[in-house]
Amino acid sequence: MVAAVTLCAGLLAAAVWTDVTAHTRARNEETALAAADAHLATLRHDAALTNYAAAVTTGKRNALQGSITTTLGQLATTNAKLSTTTAHALVQGASISTLQTCLGGVQKALGQITAGDNTQAARDVSTVSGPCSLLDGGTNAGLVYPFDFPDPDVILTGQTYFAYATNSVAGNIQIIESTDLTHWAAVGNALPGLPTWAKPHYTWAPALAQVGGNFLLYYAANVTGSGKECISVASATQPQGPFIDRSTAPLECQLALGGSIDPASFVDANGSLYLLWKSGGPGSSKIWSEQLDAAGTAFAPGATATVLLTPGQPWEAGTVEAPDLVTTGGRYVLFFSGNNWDSASYAVGAATCSGPLGPCTDASPGPVLSSGPGVAGPGGPSVFTDRTGAYWIGFHGWVPGAVGFPNNRDLYVRRLTLTGPVPVVAAAG
Amino acid sequence: MSGHRRRRWVVSVVTAVLVAAALGYLIDDQLQARHRYDRAHASLGVTRHQTGTISTQLAGLRRNLGLLTSQVGSDTTALNQDVSQLQGAQAALAAAEAHVSQQSSQITALRTCLGGVERSLNALAVDKQARAIAALQSVSSSCSKAAASG
Repeated sequence: MVAAVTLCAGLLAAAVWTDVTAHTRARNEETALAAADAHLATLRHDAALTNYAAAVTTGKRNALQGSITTTLGQLATTNAKLSTTTAHALVQGASISTLQTCLGGVQKALGQITAGDNTQAARDVSTVSGPCSLLDGGTNAGLVYPFDFPDPDVILTGQTYFAYATNSVAGNIQIIESTDLTHWAAVGNALPGLPTWAKPHYTWAPALAQVGGNFLLYYAANVTGSGKECISVASATQPQGPFIDRSTAPLECQLALGGSIDPASFVDANGSLYLLWKSGGPGSSKIWSEQLDAAGTAFAPGATATVLLTPGQPWEAGTVEAPDLVTTGGRYVLFFSGNNWDSASYAVGAATCSGPLGPCTDASPGPVLSSGPGVAGPGGPSVFTDRTGAYWIGFHGWVPGAVGFPNNRDLYVRRLTLTGPVPVVAAAG
Repeated sequence: MSGHRRRRWVVSVVTAVLVAAALGYLIDDQLQARHRYDRAHASLGVTRHQTGTISTQLAGLRRNLGLLTSQVGSDTTALNQDVSQLQGAQAALAAAEAHVSQQSSQITALRTCLGGVERSLNALAVDKQARAIAALQSVSSSCSKAAASG
């Protein structure tokens, strides 16, 4: 009995103990589960927050990268503009420097002219010839001397080219020289003194001839009291001058025809010397020729003036002047200017002649040289040969946009072809 | 069977029944407790697995967020530098454009002045003093402007 009771008590005690233990384990596990669930919930919440933060940050990053791309694009555009503008500023800086240099030389020359020193004035402009050439359009059109140098006559003596022109900065008759036809330097005033019959400041259109050991300078001068130009001749022992004119009267003077201007000398194949010139004004102009004596200082005995050319083409507008005769291959080609000298319509024509005394007929219905790129109103032709015998034409021209006295008539030279029926002047550029 | 013995037998039977009932209850209760344990244990396993997965994901997300935050920082720095460069370039461009504009005005003034001085020189060279003076006067303001800006 006791044993049974003890057994029952033992069984009950063991059952209670194992039950309590089971409950304890279950509660512990449920507590752990609750904690784990809470932790999991926290983690999920954190993950959701982190995801949200990542989404926001990604948006911010993308926006920043978009801004960077846009900013870099703007920076590239701005830098490109800056580069272009800087280059433009450099070019303009060079232009300003060129302008200041040219202007400085011209202002100095103006001061020298005011002080009466034409020779120094010519040297002052000559030293800035390079910069001033750039401002007048550069050398593409044949520009070689960017100052007032009207009615030029170009000759080659020895190894040196000399060019002579109507009175301007250098004085009565301007001289410049060159060894390469590109770079020209002022020599000065070829004609320091005028004959007593000539009025100062109207000495135009010089033409050179070499006769024996002498150099002759034909030019037009204003006959005091007449208001008209007539032609005289001066001589020198060297091409630089000084040329002396001891005449008491003009060599040629057609006062009744409005005067005589634009002399040109011509030496025929047989050595005979001729003088060509122009008389009259618009509507009555004529180009003449007459043989000179052997010395070239007077007309040949018995010689008479012959008309070579009168205006006949519409482009000439009633004026032919500034003749220059050249012979090649047995042909005679007369170059001349036509139209109004003070305009961009001025141009150079050509006629073919049977001889130095004509007759002459127009080589073409139009001019052989007229306004074009880099030059306006070309005129005053002077045909010459270089050291190789190749033909060139020198002429004056306005700078486009600055046409009319007292703007510059610059000196240009271009290659000339005389092999065909119509002379061909090399195009600009 | 005597009454005493009978009573003892009854007590014993009752006691045995009571013990058996108590044991039955305890066993059933224990089974339920174990069942609760098993469910909680199984759930805890699932939860712990999910916790591990989420923890891994969260770590990845935090790394990604850290990377993004770092990118935002470096991008902000880069943008500030680019904006600063752009502002510098824009200021330089504005200055260069102003300089070019000033140069253009100076070139115009110089060209006008040069033209007038050349015309004056040419007119004076042939003793046309009135034209020379007129040519200079016509460009005096341009020459002054050119000299001032030079």
